[in-house]
Amino acid sequence: MAAAYLTHHQKVLRLYKKSLRHIESWCIFRDKYRFYACLLRARFDENKHEKDMMKATMMLKAGEEEFWANQHPQPYLFPDSPGGTSYERYECYKAPEWCLDHWHPSEKAMYPDYFAKREQWKKLRVQSWDREVQQLQIETPADGPKSEALPPARKEGDLPPLWWQFVTRPRERPM
Amino acid sequence: MEDSVSRMRSGSLVHCGSGLRNMAARIIARCVRSLNHRAVCLNSINTAATLTAAPLTHGRTFSQLTNGHKSPLAQISGSSFQVFQWRQYGDLPPLTLETIHDRVLYVLKLYDKITPEKLQATSHFMKDLGLDSLDQVEIIMAMEDEFGFEIPDADAEKLMTPQEIVQYIADKKDVYE
Repeated sequence: MAAAYLTHHQKVLRLYKKSLRHIESWCIFRDKYRFYACLLRARFDENKHEKDMMKATMMLKAGEEEFWANQHPQPYLFPDSPGGTSYERYECYKAPEWCLDHWHPSEKAMYPDYFAKREQWKKLRVQSWDREVQQLQIETPADGPKSEALPPARKEGDLPPLWWQFVTRPRERPM
Repeated sequence: MEDSVSRMRSGSLVHCGSGLRNMAARIIARCVRSLNHRAVCLNSINTAATLTAAPLTHGRTFSQLTNGHKSPLAQISGSSFQVFQWRQYGDLPPLTLETIHDRVLYVLKLYDKITPEKLQATSHFMKDLGLDSLDQVEIIMAMEDEFGFEIPDADAEKLMTPQEIVQYIADKKDVYE
């Protein structure tokens, strides 16, 4: 999503998803949840062909208020989602990749193939860095970047900007 | 009266004493048997796959029970035996691209608004399968339930084909070829 504001469509979809999740938290048995989920889907479906934006916005506002009144006090959250049990649990083990350069040579000798390849990757990074910076300088507008999304590589044989950060990002579950 | 009671009590104590000694011997034998069985179980887990080995180890331990009452006791009287330390952490089986692909297609085939014959890896939900954006939200929620992690709304509204969903899950879960 490029712009800072949500479209009406997106707001309706988000309301639908969070109300389904809260119905799932209320109705713990799967058949009961399915029943109420189908009822909710029918309510959304009968109004989806509304063309008048004023009325649609008023309906969305009424829906949000109804959601707020009927929400679950402790909704089910997935472990990895914000507020879940294992959210950011493994962040402390995700070391940046420059720590590998500080290893003792005896430790580095335990993985000779990896560190040999790593030298080649670092040479590649040094070569492509100037072109990446140049591309970013050309492509960002004068005020500053509008979003965090990075542009892809435009020329043949070029690497996308700031690829090193992405390629050497830590694993989701560090060993 | 009191003499008989005291005699009974002392008799019962003596009886309890020998009974306790028997019990202690039985408990020690059982501990030794269980220790040896654990060593046997661990050995078999070392060598074979865990799932298939479970019934095998049970069979082996019961046969040992029936055959050799005396063998574990003989071992304890002999030289010292090793107790193996083993740590087993619980986790899901590792994901591969094929398993993610199969699970995504399986969940999609269970959805009643999709005909399984028309479903391909690259079939677009809106254009090819004629689904609604509300249906797409439901599909993404089913994927979240299947794989157990949340897909944020900003990413979810962009996933429009099963192949994109597989790619996204592989990105999030660090699954390579």
